[in-house]
Amino acid sequence: MAERVAQARFVSVDLQETEDNRALIEAIVADNPDIVANHFPGVVKLQSATQLVVKRASVEERLGRDWETHEFQMAIVTVAGNFTEWDEDEIVIAWEH
Amino acid sequence: MQYELKTQVIEPRRKTFTHLIERFGDRPASRYEEGSIGIQATENFHYRPTWAPDKELYDPDYSEFKLTDPYSFTDPRQFYYTPYVTTRTGLHEAFGKTLDYLQTRDLFAKLPQSWRSIMADTFVPMRHYESAGQLIFSGACRFGYGTTITQCCGYAAFDRIGIAQLISRVGIALGGGGAELLDSAKSAWVEDAHLQGLRRYVEEAMVEPDWADTVIAYDLSDNLIYGLLYRELDEAALLGGAGAYSLVAQHLSTWFTDQRRWLDALYRAWLADEQYGAANKAAFERIVAAKLPQALAAVTAMAEHIDSFEAVGAVEALGRVHTALIEQLAGLGLDIKES
Repeated sequence: MAERVAQARFVSVDLQETEDNRALIEAIVADNPDIVANHFPGVVKLQSATQLVVKRASVEERLGRDWETHEFQMAIVTVAGNFTEWDEDEIVIAWEH
Repeated sequence: MQYELKTQVIEPRRKTFTHLIERFGDRPASRYEEGSIGIQATENFHYRPTWAPDKELYDPDYSEFKLTDPYSFTDPRQFYYTPYVTTRTGLHEAFGKTLDYLQTRDLFAKLPQSWRSIMADTFVPMRHYESAGQLIFSGACRFGYGTTITQCCGYAAFDRIGIAQLISRVGIALGGGGAELLDSAKSAWVEDAHLQGLRRYVEEAMVEPDWADTVIAYDLSDNLIYGLLYRELDEAALLGGAGAYSLVAQHLSTWFTDQRRWLDALYRAWLADEQYGAANKAAFERIVAAKLPQALAAVTAMAEHIDSFEAVGAVEALGRVHTALIEQLAGLGLDIKES
């Protein structure tokens, strides 16, 4: 039993894979070096051992238009982790404790 | 009995068209990429145009500005039909709301007389300037090379006719519902001294055979006009009690910000090109040196005319716009000699 204690807790977010979200997914993958992206039909599972950052500027750059962080809600299927930060410029998903 | 649920992932044989896979690798391409890259007709033209027997129907040689790979420029706004139409619908509706507001409050009638004259004499005739822009960008759309470029030019041409319509609607509203102001604006465009410089400038640009020279020349006057009329005068209008003018102007300056995004990206692509960058830069500097003083003189005549109705400081404002434009061009890496 003792071996199981050291297991890392992953934060993850599942996003719908649509035309618009593809830019969002690309931006998240580019901004988070330790991310693992798994593609399933219609859904992308993004997983990280540390935290997940979504930056407005990099999403806008890929999307070619203004993007507000609350639009992230429209893409989420499910989340594991806490939204430790959610402001105009970035969203951070991590475990708080 | 137990069931195990599993998702079975079926990998598509390829994620997009072959020419996009060759360019970007096998990844899903965006609609913009699928509808823009590699679309330019490049072969099987059969006949050369009788009016330009040294060129093909679609030929990079219609301009001295060239890109080694025409698709090294992509529209930062990623406009293809749907996003273009949706964005512009938004712009048009927002403008319609503003106009309704101005009409229900009767704000055009409450304009100070001087501002009314400024709008009738200088703002409403700009519909002819915009219309010239439509021809210029349509020409660029026809003679340009590379769909990512010509597509932007095509949309810019639609934009210009759209803006000419917005200005016409303001002209009709300002004239109390009749077309008299549009008629007088037409004769002002053809006859009035303060607009002749600008008319000559755009008409010369229209007959310039090199589409890129034309686009740059027109963009230089655009910078001065949009900077002066829709940004600097907007402020002066607010202070001078002409809120109606300011409400109209904001939409045009918002549009111009959008226009700048693709043009500046195109300029940067031209100047950064490995093979043609130096030639493009030399040509660009030559055009700016030849055209910017002419554009400045043309718009100065307008600014002086505006100042004759009310001392709004249009000439000084134009000076600021001109300085900013030179800084902006220098920021692209061009050597601009102050004239």
